[in-house]
Amino acid sequence: MNTLVITQVAPRQWHALDDDLVVGRGDASPRPDGRLFLSIDTWHGSVFDRLADAMLAALPRPLYTVVDEAELDLTAQWRGIGFTTRRREWEYVLPADADQAPPPPNLTILPLGAAEVRPLRRLDRAIRAQVEATVGWQEMPAEVLSRPTDPAQHAVATEAGSYVGLIRAVQLPKQTRIGLVAVLSTHRRRGIARALVSEVKRATHDRGVALVTAEVHEANTAAIALFEAFGASRSGSNLELVIR
Amino acid sequence: MAKSTDGIQLEGTVIECMRDAKFRVELPNGHVVLAHISGKIRKNYIKILPFDRVLVELSQYDLTRGRILFRYRN
Repeated sequence: MNTLVITQVAPRQWHALDDDLVVGRGDASPRPDGRLFLSIDTWHGSVFDRLADAMLAALPRPLYTVVDEAELDLTAQWRGIGFTTRRREWEYVLPADADQAPPPPNLTILPLGAAEVRPLRRLDRAIRAQVEATVGWQEMPAEVLSRPTDPAQHAVATEAGSYVGLIRAVQLPKQTRIGLVAVLSTHRRRGIARALVSEVKRATHDRGVALVTAEVHEANTAAIALFEAFGASRSGSNLELVIR
Repeated sequence: MAKSTDGIQLEGTVIECMRDAKFRVELPNGHVVLAHISGKIRKNYIKILPFDRVLVELSQYDLTRGRILFRYRN
């Protein structure tokens, strides 16, 4: 590593070169909410530190990164250059099955792909406004930000023709990932979220896939209770780290 | 801009997800490498599961270690 050179190869990309060989890469990419997330890939801790030094000197703070909490060495490297934990999300795994919780009285659950676009977008906007007025989107997973509202990825709860709750679920080849479960504040505490999760589990089972997964903020006690009531188990955790 | 060379990149199949966020990946020649995921995969919350086909970059310093750069859609 005597000849290690750190080079900025693009506005938000860095390379660590050792005798013209790329031995490390650093990247900064913005999220839809404007926050800048870093990644650094190296084979040696000393290269990580050199790349980090160059990136931290060039980029505006605050800066963020995501690590799997089980990656102890990597987490320690980020902490070693000054990053601290901002939030933790538990990964939950739910078994897919055909046992469906009946929807609450007077409610109908529209399965994935059955919702109409316009009322779905209205519901999505109303829920986003409620989130923004309370915890704020920075407390929500990045993946639910600024996504187009696709009926194929949403099951919806309706009451008297009005859309009152939704679940966003991405059907992947080996699992279904739940991205968002949300019910209008006027309709909570009635079992709507439970019926929506149940619908996604059924749809996943019907296409021959065994797993449903979700990430939940550690402080989101309502969501944790919801998933654990279905027998969900924690399979890991992700940390969002920040340096200010 | 400096001249650069990428490391050895090979397709492989994930055969085991380990508890420390590492993966055992079998290469076409039958060799098995211990791989972790790249920062870009981590930032994009891409999940790696057994039997996933992945692109692995091997370490220049230890050919039994690798980094998963990409997960193919099966």
